[in-house]
Amino acid sequence: MSKSPGAGMYPPVAKLNLAADPRKMRRIIAEDPEWSLTVVPLLSNLCLQCIVRNFEEKPILEELLPRHKDYVLERLSPSLPLQVTANLISDDGYWKRCCKQRWGLCDVSSYGHSWKRMFFERHLENIIELFIPDATDPKTVLGMVPLCRNYVKRLDISQLLPPIKEPQKSEDDDNSDSASDMGMDGPSMDHFDFGILLDKLSHLEEFHVVYRVKGCGMNFEWNLFEFTFRDCESLAKALKSCKTLRVLRIHQSKVDDEKCRQLVNNLLDHPSLRELNLSHNLIGDRGARAIGKLLNRSKLESLTVYDNNIRGPGAQAIAYALAKNSSLLSLNLRLNRLGDEGGQAIAQALLKNRTLKWLHLGGNEMTEPTATVLSQVLVQNNTLRSINLSCNRLGMDGGKVLEEGMCHNSSVVECDIRLTEVGQESDYCISQVVRNNQNQAHTKHNTEENLAQTSEHY
Amino acid sequence: MSQDGNLREDTEEAVPSVDSENPEERIAARRLRIAARSEAKKRQELGDDSHEKKDIKEEARKSQHQVEQSEKRMIKLQSDGTELVTNIQVAADSRESQRRTEVEEAHRLRVEKLENEAKSSLEKFEEITRKWTVAKMKEIPQDLRDSLSSQQQLCALLIEDKNKLIHELQKEMKLSDDRYVKDLKKQGEDVDLMIERMEDQVKFLMGSYRDELDQIENSFEHERKILLTGNRKKWEQYMKERQDKELENVMQRMKRVEEYEVLLQQLRTEDAEEYNMIKIKLDTDVQILEQQLQQMKATYQLNQEKLEYNFQVLKKRDEENTITKSQQKRKITRLQDVVNNLKIKCANQEKQSREENQNLTDDYTRIMQQYKHMQKKMRHFAAIDAKKFEEVWLMNEEEVKALVEKALDTDRLVHEQQLGLAWQRPPLAFMERCGPLQPQRQAQKTAHQAISELLRLGQTSGCSLGKGKYREAGAGPEAGVGPGAESPALAVEVYESGAGLESGSSEVERESEGSGGEHSGTVSVKMVKKLLELLCDEAGFLIESKLLKLLSPLEKDEQSLMKLDSIFTAMGIESEEDVYKLADFFMKYRHTQGEQTQDVSAKWGVASPQAERGEFTSSCSPTSDLIHPNDVLVALRAFTAHHCRPRELAASHQPSMLGLGGREDTEDAAYWEAMGDVIPEAKLKIWGALETALDKYHIVLTERSKFITDTQSLKQQNTELRMLLHQYVNSRVGVPVIASRGFVSRMCLLI
Repeated sequence: MSKSPGAGMYPPVAKLNLAADPRKMRRIIAEDPEWSLTVVPLLSNLCLQCIVRNFEEKPILEELLPRHKDYVLERLSPSLPLQVTANLISDDGYWKRCCKQRWGLCDVSSYGHSWKRMFFERHLENIIELFIPDATDPKTVLGMVPLCRNYVKRLDISQLLPPIKEPQKSEDDDNSDSASDMGMDGPSMDHFDFGILLDKLSHLEEFHVVYRVKGCGMNFEWNLFEFTFRDCESLAKALKSCKTLRVLRIHQSKVDDEKCRQLVNNLLDHPSLRELNLSHNLIGDRGARAIGKLLNRSKLESLTVYDNNIRGPGAQAIAYALAKNSSLLSLNLRLNRLGDEGGQAIAQALLKNRTLKWLHLGGNEMTEPTATVLSQVLVQNNTLRSINLSCNRLGMDGGKVLEEGMCHNSSVVECDIRLTEVGQESDYCISQVVRNNQNQAHTKHNTEENLAQTSEHY
Repeated sequence: MSQDGNLREDTEEAVPSVDSENPEERIAARRLRIAARSEAKKRQELGDDSHEKKDIKEEARKSQHQVEQSEKRMIKLQSDGTELVTNIQVAADSRESQRRTEVEEAHRLRVEKLENEAKSSLEKFEEITRKWTVAKMKEIPQDLRDSLSSQQQLCALLIEDKNKLIHELQKEMKLSDDRYVKDLKKQGEDVDLMIERMEDQVKFLMGSYRDELDQIENSFEHERKILLTGNRKKWEQYMKERQDKELENVMQRMKRVEEYEVLLQQLRTEDAEEYNMIKIKLDTDVQILEQQLQQMKATYQLNQEKLEYNFQVLKKRDEENTITKSQQKRKITRLQDVVNNLKIKCANQEKQSREENQNLTDDYTRIMQQYKHMQKKMRHFAAIDAKKFEEVWLMNEEEVKALVEKALDTDRLVHEQQLGLAWQRPPLAFMERCGPLQPQRQAQKTAHQAISELLRLGQTSGCSLGKGKYREAGAGPEAGVGPGAESPALAVEVYESGAGLESGSSEVERESEGSGGEHSGTVSVKMVKKLLELLCDEAGFLIESKLLKLLSPLEKDEQSLMKLDSIFTAMGIESEEDVYKLADFFMKYRHTQGEQTQDVSAKWGVASPQAERGEFTSSCSPTSDLIHPNDVLVALRAFTAHHCRPRELAASHQPSMLGLGGREDTEDAAYWEAMGDVIPEAKLKIWGALETALDKYHIVLTERSKFITDTQSLKQQNTELRMLLHQYVNSRVGVPVIASRGFVSRMCLLI
């Protein structure tokens, strides 16, 4: 990177100390493809260099010939203001240099192999993550919108800073709860308000947010990790206004029943939402009921609510929705407290459902009765591909029942029954059936591929 | 291998069918079929090579097998690895859930404990408050102090309890804090372990992937080597074969080259000889040709001179021709002018003639109108004339009848009074009649009626021609005899009717009709019927197709009747007479065709009807075959040719009788004559004789009457004279006596 601009922008004054540079004494420099013996550069090159130098004041790019365009792009500085470059330069090479300069380590594959997208997404994330309510001007964010609107498809916000408090106050309220904060006429907002941003990003598809502070270290305070009602309200409205959203993830943010209900109420009948992830929160039965309502009022394909506090009634609500649903493909209820009541309800719903492929019920305190219903499901349902029952105390009898069910199944290719205290025999049998199913699925897949190839061939 | 089999089965199942609805699939299916066919053909051609190919396939399968195996192995390794890694997660999950149950349990216990505590402390508090009231009651300071101290103690106890609880709770909190820290640490360890395992797994998987890749590569390499060696062997073999073949070819070629060289040599010598011969010959030819050339040159010069002369002459002629041409041209222009003039004239003429034509057409129409008018007038006058005629006729008739009556009366008187004879009144048919005579032609039947009758008759009996015929024809007794032999009753009837009706009609008419009757009588009804049937069959083309369709539902007889009717109208046969003429013609035709040898044909015109009839009956009834069906058409044509001429004649003279004036007056004369002839000649003679006699008698009588008158006058004179005499006698007898003497003598004479 350092070499090419050096060669291109060589100032004519440097010719004086030719001898100082050993490179100039050599007749051929093999490692520099642009090196040539002609000492005076071409006029076109000089012009291009001029363009590069004055790019900030006079951006000329589209008018150039493709060859010259490449030349200019290669030499532009990555630190040019975004207002100039954002909508003008579409060349990935330039943005690659920008990214490398700014962050060093980059994985472009997770950004759809577009360096420009990566640059703008990470840039916007950085701005939002460092936004301090009332302290930072919202215009810093809004000013970015016209520049990055066309390129941002995903926002992964890994922290949100709370407003600054007066020192004495923070000392006073050291141990107090957030409830005491709410009463005061404090800051205008508790965290960054997404309402001003989300409706303007017309290409946003994925939105991940965590209401917490990263790396607080010994300055830990409870209120740093607070997702208040005001936040919830503004976020819910913002989500409603964002019509292109496909994936939503709000995790580790202490979303409880009330907040969950508010979010869900605003997500009902969302035109494009496909994936909802509310893991590591505090959702209980009422929240689960709201989610159940959302299942049949949207096009959700994947629902992940693991590590929450959903119990039997909540699971029943979800199961009721699941029985009537025809779009959900994946359901993850890991580490909840469904119990047998919820487990049986879910299993019975699966007797009717014909779309769900992937189910995770690990760590839900389920026992033998759930296993008996699930074995029935295994016999009747042939859409389920993967089922995870780990960390449930199914016991020997439950294992046997499951084994029987698996014997009549030909679709399940993954079945996790670790730490369920089933007998070794049933474990072995089940894994055998699963392997058989895998083989069949594999051969089927292969033949399909072969067919596709042959048809292409013809 | 079993898997392979499965695979093949699957592919066979999934093969696109030609009957599929999807057009792309159909195309694919056809392509597959074509490919399979071509492959089969190739295999047939190669034959032995298929074995080798099979081997290669086997080995290819081996490599594939290897690939599959390693794939399976890798999948297994992967799943094992993930299981190993996720084991930690699962364990953590289970720990977490366990922790949660524990925490819940602890929470429950704690709540219970707190509730218990709250209950007990409330009791204690109530006790204290109760004691406060008791203490208030106390008035003795010592008691008050005691109670206060006890109160204090109790309060201290309560607070101590509370503090203990708080302490316990704080301890619990600390414990859980410790536990949290421990958990954190544990989780950190777990994460580390997980990372470690993941790295191990990654390394291990990488290694195994590499191994598998090596193995697969090895297997492919092995396969390739085998293939290479096999192919090389084959290649070498082919090369060797090729070399051998080439060597052989070269040898053959050499041999052939030698042969050809020998042949060439031979040919060369032969050709050289031939060449020499031809050269000599050609040399001589050249010499001859040169001589000829010289000659030709000489003639050429001569001809050139001649031609030059001719050319001059022709030039002169050409000049003349140009002059004449110009003259001709001038003439042409002049003639053109003339033509133009003539054309104009012609146009004028045409115009004139058109006008004339127009005038003439106008005239024509006018004249036509006039003509029509005239016709109308004529008709009108004709009607009036007819009426007048009738009136005149009636008047005359009345007059004549009166006269006749008078004549008859006088006749009767003459007979009865003068002759003293009995008088008989002669039969007078016409006396009953009144009005002008009507033509009798209407009685003649149309052809149609005749046919229908014929057909009907033919069914009932084989009698000869219908009675209607005789009645109408008024056939004489001699005509009735012929048929009478066959059906006497009919003949008698005919005779009677004929006699009754026609006794008054003129002799001429009877004869003319009679001849027709005789003629028609010659052909028997049966035969005519057969003939008609024949006609019906053979001349079907004359019937309109529409009619045939309409006729189909009718009975057979009616059908044939209608057909015949239409045929006859087509042929122009209208009256019954024509029908019989036709039949007769047919018979004649047949005879002229069939019996020429007998030479009967001459007899036909002259022979008596009896003879004819006899012949007809004899010839027709037994054989019953008439004219041959094939000849019918020819005969028909001949008939129409014959028949048409008289018809045309009749047609030409028809229009004159078209009007009402077209009455026949031939009979009138006869009629009137009959009226005149009411007193026959003999009687007239008698009358003449009678007249003369009566004349004589009359004379005598007149004389007698004169004598009577004379005598009378004489008698008178006598008397007078007597008287005179007497007087004289009486008076003077002197002079008068002398004068009266003569008188007296005359008187005497008279007396």
